[in-house]
Amino acid sequence: MKGKNCVAIAADRRFGVQLQTIGTDMDKIFEIGPKLFVGIPGLATDTQTVHERLRFRTNVYELRENRPVTPQVLSAMVTNLLYEHRFGPYFVEPVIAGLDPKTNEPFVCGFDVIGCPCEPEDFIVSGTCEEQLLGMCESLYEPNLEPDQLFETISQALVNACDRDAISGWGAKVYIIESDKVTIRKVRTRMD
Amino acid sequence: MATGLAPEIPSGGFSFGNFQRNLSLEVQGLHPPKAIKTGTTICGLTFNNGVVLGADTRATAGNVVADKNCSKIHRLAPKIFCCGAGTAADTEMTTRNIESQLELLRLNMGREVPVVVANRLLKQMLFRYQGYVSAALVLGGVDKFGSHIYCIYPHGSTDKLPYATMGSGSLAAMAVFERGWKLDMDEAYAVQLVRDAIAAGITNDLGSGSNVDINIIRRDEPKTKIIRPYEEIGLRGKRHGKYTYQKGTTKVLETEVIPIVVEEEEVVQRMDED
Amino acid sequence: MALDSLCGFSTSQPAFKGFSSMCTLQNDLDVFTGNFKNNLQLMNPPAAHIPELEAMKVDYKDPLHRERKTPYGFYKTPLGYGPVEVPDVGAVTAPDSGLKIKMAHGTTTLGFKFKGGVIIAVDSRATGGMFIGSQEVKKVIEINDCLLGTMAGGAADCTYWERFLSKQCRLYELRNREKISVAAASKLLANICFHYKGYGLSMGTMIAGWDKRGPGLYYVDDDGRRAPGNLFSVGSGSTYALGVLDGSYKWDLTDEEAQELGRRAIFHATHRDAASGGVVRVYHVKEGGWEKISEVDNDKYWEKYSGDKMPIVIN
Repeated sequence: MKGKNCVAIAADRRFGVQLQTIGTDMDKIFEIGPKLFVGIPGLATDTQTVHERLRFRTNVYELRENRPVTPQVLSAMVTNLLYEHRFGPYFVEPVIAGLDPKTNEPFVCGFDVIGCPCEPEDFIVSGTCEEQLLGMCESLYEPNLEPDQLFETISQALVNACDRDAISGWGAKVYIIESDKVTIRKVRTRMD
Repeated sequence: MATGLAPEIPSGGFSFGNFQRNLSLEVQGLHPPKAIKTGTTICGLTFNNGVVLGADTRATAGNVVADKNCSKIHRLAPKIFCCGAGTAADTEMTTRNIESQLELLRLNMGREVPVVVANRLLKQMLFRYQGYVSAALVLGGVDKFGSHIYCIYPHGSTDKLPYATMGSGSLAAMAVFERGWKLDMDEAYAVQLVRDAIAAGITNDLGSGSNVDINIIRRDEPKTKIIRPYEEIGLRGKRHGKYTYQKGTTKVLETEVIPIVVEEEEVVQRMDED
Repeated sequence: MALDSLCGFSTSQPAFKGFSSMCTLQNDLDVFTGNFKNNLQLMNPPAAHIPELEAMKVDYKDPLHRERKTPYGFYKTPLGYGPVEVPDVGAVTAPDSGLKIKMAHGTTTLGFKFKGGVIIAVDSRATGGMFIGSQEVKKVIEINDCLLGTMAGGAADCTYWERFLSKQCRLYELRNREKISVAAASKLLANICFHYKGYGLSMGTMIAGWDKRGPGLYYVDDDGRRAPGNLFSVGSGSTYALGVLDGSYKWDLTDEEAQELGRRAIFHATHRDAASGGVVRVYHVKEGGWEKISEVDNDKYWEKYSGDKMPIVIN
């Protein structure tokens, strides 16, 4: 979710097989750069594979080019990685949130399962309770929120959406990315 | 460079590595998430001084509007553009691919690439994938031979037409074209006709919505005029109240702050001369 | 004649018979509101008696291999409530829908006997697919002052048939001037389940109560199974509940301990099972009737049950 000179990205922490909850401490948001994060919801094995592959590609990029990965570059990487697997996709729908390393311009971008990028000016949602989240965000979101307010908005959107999805929830982690710091908060949600 | 520690990034092309796995996952009842489709109204026509292309801006995933303002008119060359319908990733990647191929071709040949080449590259690529790359395109452009509109189908067949529509809203758009199209239209009339056609798609087809995007490629001008949005049709209702949560509404279990240290460092790099 | 046949509607379809002089209002009422008059008169699943479908080899399996086709396509129940003769109203669902009706399924319910009576504890979540339809469903059905039924499986099947059971129990009381026993009540329900065996009912219930023989607890399910016992748990979260239950269950629990055990078992099941959740409801059946002990959102229990014993791992 975009705010005023800041972005937020949040995800629940459930790890489960069908109806069975196996763990409640799974991270689905990964750091790519100091101000750049990617959330990868979907099949857990693919979440990890895609993250590792992205990490590899971003590392190679930084070594070769000797400059940090910008959100736009990461977006192109995700698109290419997923589209390579157009006929046998990874079951993930990643979301990128970050600030431009130089200009600190907020950037959010979502992808479908085969890497179609979607770069809105407000927010992007993905995962099993996508529809609930979409509804929450459409009604809660306002442009130019300050970091604190952005935190409340994104957290409430996520928490309340998860409460209507059987297989989401069990804790949440919210990242607020500003130009000088990243604040990570663990949020209390329903645990059933 | 290829060592076990740092393997090379694999060369391009599709990877079918997960295909078999996904097949068996599907048998076990785990279905992949839906890919985004454009479910689209796109159209293009030629007028006396070039080409007008139009598109709506809705992207859908099942019944959900995945993107309210996506761009469906893709650049292939400065004066060749292509509207895409079908699976969004396919239209996006296909046009990106052809765009770079056209640019390489231009650099090799040292002259502007004609529209027919873009058409040929696209149809050959789509035919190679036997319709599995589901991109339905309306290609439009201007070259020294004139103004051209091509209709390209996912299986690789093409039509060269004076006016064309594609996507789920193509019938609504074609109805407008069939009524309004004339020989030797002027620009204002052509743009209005394209706008009407897309508007017909947006209002009558559930798969199309939001805005009208229009590109005008003129014969006597080196640049294409991109109007995005040309008009907003599916406007969203305004929210009057505010749902602002007070600070502290969300119960936080723990907070971690990672400061970002800004390293000011000037790196001067010299290019190797070889 | 005329319009309906002109349009190609078959006149054998009663929906279009309204035009014909043969059809009276009374007949229409019988056709369309039949099971209000006699609630045992449920229709056959439509696929079973549509000749076209049978020709298409849509195989509707009846595990008992009974002759289901009555002249009017209804199964005559052997309870003596045989359905009044009603013409076949045809498919009520689209033929290609193949009878796949989505129903609420995920649940955790449990019941156990101990020295102080019977404890019944349930969650309150209703799911449709992965969507949470409601967080406050009543999954304990109060059949009468002494009898409780629990609900797992199809919500509609359970509520309908346990309400029907409630009626039958009351009739029994009026006829025999005596409260119905838990055994008899559960058998009534089991009989119904057996009659409709293979017809797609979906219910897993426990009937608990107190009669002249003392506390009673029976398990009844959709294929007609009925079993008395000391401890049951039914539903998608039952394995988790049983884990907690078996760990600390003993006959000599005090009332408070027993209530707490039931509550805790449901709580832990709702934590692990995605399809269970919401409110934990605990009932206690004692001599003279049941009592509702508590009805608390299990979110309130999280700190109490997990906070101190299971520190949140920070990684």
